[in-house]
Amino acid sequence: MKQMTSRHGAGRWLTAAAAVTAVLGVTGALHSAQAQKIVTVVLSEEPEGLDGCNANRSTVGRVAKQNIVETLTEIDPKDGTIRPRLATSWTKVNATTWRFELRKGVKFHDGADFNATNASKAISRTMDSKLDCETRTKSFGDLKLSTKAVGSHTLDISANKPVPILPTRMGVVSLSSPNTRTDKLVLNPIGTGPYVFDKWTPGQEITLKRFNGYWGKKPVVEGARYIWRSESTVRAAMVEVGEADIAPNIAVQDATNPKMDFSYPNSETTRLRIDITQAPLNDKRVRLALNYAFDRDALIGSILSKDIEHATQIIVPSINGHNPALKVRKYDPAMAKKLIAEAKAAGVPVGKEIVIIGRTNIYPNGTEAMEAMMSMFQDVGLNVKLRMMEVGSWLKYLTKPYDKNRGAILLQAQHDNNNGDAVFSVFNKFACGGAQSSICNKPMDELISKASTMSGDERRKTWQEVNRIIYEDITSDVWMYHMVGYSRVGGRINFTPSISTNSELHLEEMSFK
Amino acid sequence: MASFLGRRALHSAIALIGLILAVFFLVRLTGDPTDLYLPIDASLETRKEFAHKHGFDRPSAEQFLVFLKDVSNGDLGYSLRKQRPAMELVLEAYPTTLALAGVAMVLSITLAIIVGAIAAYKPGGVFDRISSMASLAGASAPDFWIAITGILIFAVTLRWLPTSGVGDLPYWILPIGVLMLRPFGLMVQVVRAAMLGALSSAYVKTARAKGVGETAVIFVHALRNACLSIVTVAGDLTVGMINGAVIVETVFGWPGVGKLMIDSVMQRDFPTVQATIMVTATAIFLLNIAIDFLYVALDPRIRHQ
Repeated sequence: MKQMTSRHGAGRWLTAAAAVTAVLGVTGALHSAQAQKIVTVVLSEEPEGLDGCNANRSTVGRVAKQNIVETLTEIDPKDGTIRPRLATSWTKVNATTWRFELRKGVKFHDGADFNATNASKAISRTMDSKLDCETRTKSFGDLKLSTKAVGSHTLDISANKPVPILPTRMGVVSLSSPNTRTDKLVLNPIGTGPYVFDKWTPGQEITLKRFNGYWGKKPVVEGARYIWRSESTVRAAMVEVGEADIAPNIAVQDATNPKMDFSYPNSETTRLRIDITQAPLNDKRVRLALNYAFDRDALIGSILSKDIEHATQIIVPSINGHNPALKVRKYDPAMAKKLIAEAKAAGVPVGKEIVIIGRTNIYPNGTEAMEAMMSMFQDVGLNVKLRMMEVGSWLKYLTKPYDKNRGAILLQAQHDNNNGDAVFSVFNKFACGGAQSSICNKPMDELISKASTMSGDERRKTWQEVNRIIYEDITSDVWMYHMVGYSRVGGRINFTPSISTNSELHLEEMSFK
Repeated sequence: MASFLGRRALHSAIALIGLILAVFFLVRLTGDPTDLYLPIDASLETRKEFAHKHGFDRPSAEQFLVFLKDVSNGDLGYSLRKQRPAMELVLEAYPTTLALAGVAMVLSITLAIIVGAIAAYKPGGVFDRISSMASLAGASAPDFWIAITGILIFAVTLRWLPTSGVGDLPYWILPIGVLMLRPFGLMVQVVRAAMLGALSSAYVKTARAKGVGETAVIFVHALRNACLSIVTVAGDLTVGMINGAVIVETVFGWPGVGKLMIDSVMQRDFPTVQATIMVTATAIFLLNIAIDFLYVALDPRIRHQ
């Protein structure tokens, strides 16, 4: 009996020792990071690479943009205005050329000087079609840039057509060292930013160190460690227990701690794009009926976040060209039924099948939102079906050339624009030549062309008129919401997420409590 | 022995070639990866340029010839998603999967043998009922739910263990615990059933009549004869695990081959899918040969055949 007691006692000690070892192991690692003023960021996935020319992709941008690689200009997330970064000022030389005065005394992390020649090399690398740079493929399309150093720190940037907001567009071009290889994308970016790329342990972590030769104010954060977990619940838990300091995006259902969780407008706008070329959607009364049949308030705080806002146009309020005068259409099923009856009386085949083409995982609870909308449309007498697709199949409906036999389509779509101006959205989505446009309105096309070459107040008002035409005159969409994202920020640091958190995470803006 | 090994190697090589052919053409039926790699706002011209540059606009047969030529030069392709050689990615991820699978299977088999054998010793007893219930629950519990619940209880509420990640002993406890549940549950049932048959056999009765101790009767006489069915099921479960423990790797952030393969399929990263399947298939063939040897060692009748 005595022996048995003794064995049990040893077992208990062993269990206790294991538990203590476990706890000490974890807390020891945490204390080490905390003592060094290192910020740990838990992302939703491992970046595919870290090349500066892909820094507009959120997975890359949250690590690299403005931390490792910087841009000539940047957008102020508060009001969408453009402000200097590596360029100190800029002037328009002629319709196609802008002159940028570059910041002096700036060095790349590898010691190369930041001057007009090296800035020119960096821009040329991004625009080179040999590399699949997302900055080029997403933000420039058929716009070609050429550069010319006209002084040691004076750079002329020309485009193949007039670009009145070239300084705004340069806010998406991150500049890498002239010693960066030009034949392939790199995993170890070298820029001018406040942090130097340190190490990438594949599958596990990326670390950055503070750059002592940084031209700007010395940041408080000494370094950063990026890790990744696919599950939002795990990311949220990691911040809660102190294993990480920031989870830039967590799901709405995990944002349960008011002290740690922040919602921020993530610049995404959701809608159903109506294919107005196909009956019965080619009748404006049917398109209006869809809008009146949609109970926009029903989805807020139930299927979707309580913090989202009604949308009336493709851009969010902080973007130049947003039209605040457009009023949200109220839920009015009686009006929807009346419009459908009128269309039917006029010979429109309102009973023809309309298919909602949805995309799985386009945003949290996107499928449920489509199911709810389908039901609302059916309730007013429309013959609506839902087909959910994975991204590859869905893209065939999004981008031209469209299938001739596609039928009447409502396409679930989401678009983000935090680049400061409507030009990044409107041409592609609504112009006759836009790759993802379902409409072609010649007078509006002329306005879009004009707006693209204007500046200042005139430009803003022209974009607002374009948005009015799309909403009131054409009604080419069932506008849904300006979406929000959720971030969890741990108690150790000061940081307030903003619209830019959707794609960037500036370490220099963080401090410790 | 050499001819046996030669035959198995030849069969494996034929199967591997068939598998590579099937995978090569089947993954291409999922569509052109161009749309997934370019931003959705990319122009048609950009899409065409991208597809041409990477050869996605060529017929599958032509792509296969290029693939064969590259493989003959030891090049299994470059991951579009990760911008690194595909084989390098797979070989980097495989040790993690093997470590998870190895530890989980050794612990599962050991515990299952002990629990299953004790349960079979007194069928219908308290231990048998509890272990049957627990093992069935373990075998049928959804991995994902168990993993998240484990994190919320042991990492968030009790703060005994880390939530996730790769590291020393504490980091292994939750992933291995979750990974063990299903094989442990299944194996307990198999061991119990095999041991029930063995314990009621004539040679066990003879051993008892000769005065052999009960521990030796269970773990030496009965267990050895029950081993064949245990090895069969354990082998099958191990094969499943070295294909990658996707749920555990995903939830706990372990960079194994299962998550790599799923992500590559979803992103149509063809070179990585092909490299992953080649390495995994080779590992499975090797494992099957090892299981054959184990059969021979355990059962002299197979050796004589």
